[in-house]
Amino acid sequence: MPSSNPLPPKENALFKRILKCYEQKQYKNGLKFAKQILSNPKYAEHGETLAMKGLTLNCLGRKEEAYDYVRRGLRNDLRSHVCWHVYGLLQRSDKKYDEAIKCYRNALKWEKDNIQILRDLSLLQIQMRDLDGYKDTRYQLFMLRPTQRASWIGFAMAYHLLKDFSTALRILEDFRKTQAQKSNFDYEHSELLLYQNMVLHESGALQEAISHLERYSEQICDKLSILETYGELYLESGRWKESEEIYRKLLLRNPENTKYYKLLQEALRLTDPEEKLKLFEEYRERFPRAQAPQRLPLALATGDTFKTLVDKYLRRGLHKGVPPLFVDLRSLYKDPEKVNIIHNLILQYIDSLKTCGNFAMNESESANEPASALLWALYYMSQHYDFLGDTNKALEAINAAIDHTPTLIELFVTKGRIFKHAGDLVEAYKWMDEAQGLDTADRYINSKCAKYLLRANLVKEAEEKCSKFTREGVTAMENLNEMQCMWFQTECALAYQRMELFGESLKKCHEIDRHFSEIIEDQFDFHTYCMRKMTLRSYVGLLRLEDVLRAHPFYFKAARCAIQVYLRLHDKPLTDDSQQQELNTAPAPLFRTVPRVSRIQQSVFEQQLVFVLKFMLCHSAIVAEAAAIQPD
Amino acid sequence: MNIRCAKPDDLMNMQHCNLLCLPENYQMKYYFYHGLSWPQLSYVAEDENGKIVGYVLAKMEEDSEDDPHGHITSLAVKRSHRRLGLAQKLMDQASLSMVECFNAKYVSLHVRKSNRAALNLYTNTLKFTISEIEPKYYADGEDAYAMRRDLATFNSDDPEPKDKEALPEDSEAQLIN
Repeated sequence: MPSSNPLPPKENALFKRILKCYEQKQYKNGLKFAKQILSNPKYAEHGETLAMKGLTLNCLGRKEEAYDYVRRGLRNDLRSHVCWHVYGLLQRSDKKYDEAIKCYRNALKWEKDNIQILRDLSLLQIQMRDLDGYKDTRYQLFMLRPTQRASWIGFAMAYHLLKDFSTALRILEDFRKTQAQKSNFDYEHSELLLYQNMVLHESGALQEAISHLERYSEQICDKLSILETYGELYLESGRWKESEEIYRKLLLRNPENTKYYKLLQEALRLTDPEEKLKLFEEYRERFPRAQAPQRLPLALATGDTFKTLVDKYLRRGLHKGVPPLFVDLRSLYKDPEKVNIIHNLILQYIDSLKTCGNFAMNESESANEPASALLWALYYMSQHYDFLGDTNKALEAINAAIDHTPTLIELFVTKGRIFKHAGDLVEAYKWMDEAQGLDTADRYINSKCAKYLLRANLVKEAEEKCSKFTREGVTAMENLNEMQCMWFQTECALAYQRMELFGESLKKCHEIDRHFSEIIEDQFDFHTYCMRKMTLRSYVGLLRLEDVLRAHPFYFKAARCAIQVYLRLHDKPLTDDSQQQELNTAPAPLFRTVPRVSRIQQSVFEQQLVFVLKFMLCHSAIVAEAAAIQPD
Repeated sequence: MNIRCAKPDDLMNMQHCNLLCLPENYQMKYYFYHGLSWPQLSYVAEDENGKIVGYVLAKMEEDSEDDPHGHITSLAVKRSHRRLGLAQKLMDQASLSMVECFNAKYVSLHVRKSNRAALNLYTNTLKFTISEIEPKYYADGEDAYAMRRDLATFNSDDPEPKDKEALPEDSEAQLIN
């Protein structure tokens, strides 16, 4: 519906130029043209012009004026779709999505087939997961623009997300018929076919999905996805022979994928550990350099078989000098029998390396092992004892290792960790700092060092440590926040909590919460982008990830800290004195703005609730999901 | 350690690994951009608990007039997991996908001139060669070597080429972009 107050040709031309300026981000010029219209007393209150002026001002950061102008414009022309659309865009830019949706809907009342408004509406609907609304809007867009690719894709996807698989598949198949592969590397076409297969697979139509792959695999360039999908489909439909073949092919591509071995065992219907061990033996011979077929059997084997295998594994690692050897084997320590076997082997290695330079006595006339083998054995032993809680023996071993080779950074890292585990946080960070000093170009050591400082409540020192790797010109704290460095912020929050600097602690928790909001916001651009790129499988993956984003362990830690602090403040409100103290020791913005105890308490409840709710929402979504995929 | 193609769920944990290990960091959206533009090209190495201990974040350079080619945006292996050969395995998987999905002819990357360990990995283990020096490439003013590896003969039929057997495995390092 046209504006209730149409402009004459000259002014109308000016108005069109405002729109153009807005699209081309020439905001200053836009304001000039708006002024030309509005300075004419006859059109000083022209609704659409006022609204566009407001929208332009918003882009220049003048938000308050923007709202004034847009609202005034709307009041003057309540039946203009432009005014409503503009109001929606303004609210959207402020992330008030629910309000924006209402505005778009009002705009559509006056202009129901406006493509731009429908598109904007659909984006908000998918962002807000109003899937039914999204489906309706995509339907309208489809009817209005049936020749556009995005119309089909969006329409199909809406049904897919609603789990109406048959409709989604009908649309996708009709669309596919109109598409032909353009070249051998038509990536978009290939992705479309794989998406179609994904929907088939999720619908449970395993046989159709298999035939679909058979028919189109020539046109799909993502060879890995073809094989992985075949593997899943064959396994799910109990076609063991075929799935075996597929997982053997996959292992040929990537013998380090541990899941392929597991699924191959499933395909081969192997239940007996002996048979499984044989399979790994086969792959060890086939890929002598691959790690997985050597490591995986260690979890499976027991008794003498385990001893033989782990002996070989340890010797190889110590001979070569593989620093992560212990980290790699740590998960075996669940089993006391295995711990015992490893324990005796390590003692034996150290003993005979010291006396004859071999891993066992009388193994050979001359010394065969490099001098470093003893070092690595001692290094292993210290971590072994540390894990078992024997601090003294762990220290003894690590000190012997340091005597052997005083320049190896890993040794100091381990020494620091032993002290950390023993509860001596100061000694822990001192040794980590020693390690850090030996390689100042390595950020990993730097990060570990900062973490240890934070464990000892040395926030300032930790920040300074980190500043060696943050951008110059801003504080490390700011840069780490900008880079969404959540481990650091969480450790800060916990340190402040221990120091009872509750305001500072909460500040960090809220920074982390904001990262999560940002990451949810990040989706926005991908709603249109992925439809263009056709990377629809990953896009669906993104949507599903974002649905449960706050279930991430980073959020859990921050939320737990915030909840504890809020509860503490509620149970034992700060007195004026303690607040003053906190203000003196570390300025806490949260408290500066909320100086009175009673007001703190009020907001305490609300904030606490927000954290708990956000977290629980994500968790209930996961639980529901888990329940849905549980076999009966 | 398990080596597999990265999924959208991995991207946050890759960012975490990156922040721990490397000086060049990116906001989540940049990881999403990679994962949603070229989902086949990024790989992760994870431990038994599903923790990411190494990753390669890769993309295609598409708008150039040049042959289609891949680019390694970032590659890191935690110091605690060095010398397991993870970097090489990650790079080989990513490179194979570049060839298969996007017909990549070569793969490129940048490395700090001062990063000897990384340079050694790229040159000796992964057969990259220096194509040029980019002055002041990094924010702190350091020069970068632009490096390339030809992918013309790269394929999946022979995942463990024999000529690699003799190569040292201790050259693994972190770094990039």
